[in-house]
Amino acid sequence: MPTYRTASEEETIALGERLARDLPAKQLVLLIGQLGAGKTTLAKGIVMGLGAAQPDEVSSPTFTLIHEYGSSRRVYHVDLYRLDEPREAQTLGLEDLFEREAVVLMEWGERFPQLLPAERTEIRIRTMTGEEREIQVTRIAQSNT
Amino acid sequence: MRILGIESSCDETAAAVVEDGEKILSSVVASQMSTHGKYGGVVPELASREHLRAIVPVVREALEQAGARMNDLAAIAATAGPGLVGSLLVGLTYAKSLSFASGLPLIAVNHIEGHIHAVILEARRAGTPVEFPALALVVSGGHTHLFEVSGDGRYRLLGRTRDDAAGEAFDKVAKLLGFGYPGGPIVDRLARYGNGTAVRFTFAKMKGNALDFSFSGLKTAVLRWVQARDLEAEIAARRALVRTQAHPTDEEWLAATPQDTLDLLASFQQAVITELLTRATASANRMEARSVMISGGVACNSGLRAAAELARLPCPVYFPSPGLSTDNAAMIAAAAFPKLRRREFAALDIAAQANLTLA
Repeated sequence: MPTYRTASEEETIALGERLARDLPAKQLVLLIGQLGAGKTTLAKGIVMGLGAAQPDEVSSPTFTLIHEYGSSRRVYHVDLYRLDEPREAQTLGLEDLFEREAVVLMEWGERFPQLLPAERTEIRIRTMTGEEREIQVTRIAQSNT
Repeated sequence: MRILGIESSCDETAAAVVEDGEKILSSVVASQMSTHGKYGGVVPELASREHLRAIVPVVREALEQAGARMNDLAAIAATAGPGLVGSLLVGLTYAKSLSFASGLPLIAVNHIEGHIHAVILEARRAGTPVEFPALALVVSGGHTHLFEVSGDGRYRLLGRTRDDAAGEAFDKVAKLLGFGYPGGPIVDRLARYGNGTAVRFTFAKMKGNALDFSFSGLKTAVLRWVQARDLEAEIAARRALVRTQAHPTDEEWLAATPQDTLDLLASFQQAVITELLTRATASANRMEARSVMISGGVACNSGLRAAAELARLPCPVYFPSPGLSTDNAAMIAAAAFPKLRRREFAALDIAAQANLTLA
């Protein structure tokens, strides 16, 4: 289970860019961490690493729920923060997204485990002191569940 | 010339009939209609299934209220993006089928352009039309953008948020302090009881475009302020208040909110407003704007309205009325009017685009 440390937003973006290289073409990536941990910041790096958009173009999807980036290589950035019930999340058509040949980055998705595919990557971001973050990557394969 | 406008980009299903880009004959918003009373229109009406349920009655209601029939219309306009594809598709597909069945032209509108036209519509109606070039600040839960708007319907993006939208920052700060979600309007109501200069927030200097916004750091600063103090009891008290009372009064909120927290709310709101107006002023100066338009849900914020009056903006500032600040379809029909005159029609195979840009 690889664990990384970053000391600034720039380093978190750079790490995201590197992590993107190891992601399968079709994968759900849960970004897990409290408010202000840097989930959207890491998403900026991953989206850039996948060649779908520049970091400045990646903003928080909290209100809009789903952002889409890229054309040939599509990346979805989903945020379920403002949803309370699995029923609400179900109306988003997430299962449809998971079937596509695309990377789906998801914030606050761990609150609705019943809606998620078993095979996924989980990235946990912990706030250390100040700008420092500890970032832990776990790949969960189908057979583990 | 009457245009039927349809909007379904996010939570609301809306339809409206607008005449000549300025006279609203009807404007129906579904989340208010279906949940009024029970939730006061704040519960998210989500995605395609909810829109599907609402679209036909909402359009029918808009036509009825306007006293209009399909053959009184000159065109049908719908939001084509940005937004949730599943949601956008419902309104756009319905507009396409109405267009196909009636032979009326279809006009595709960008949601953000709609917010800008909410201001243009009302200013024309009031007899004080917006003069161009104008600066538009579109600021809501999902967007924080600065555009240069020219008179002939061209837009140039000057700045935008790199992380959280301003309205999102309001709602998240409200939630972490126990005011429920979305609590932006409550922050605005309570901010006037606090001292806006009590808590100093510093903004990191941004690299790149100086007209871009960033609100994520401010949100985190509020979180740190809360974590550094023992606020568990008061936050729990407010959460309990939200659970027992759908719409607490100011008095009820104040009873559950100590002065330090009111000062925090006021200071946070002040910081957001300063960010918005500083960049709006810089943009207006840079492009030599003849008017400034501020629209989107955050344009309802009374602190922002008051501060914009006092700010040293080089030209008149226009806000839409609250009903036209949040998502509605009258703004879509209004934005379609100049396109109708330019005969800028959409083909029936036009696709909804989640990441549609205006410029």
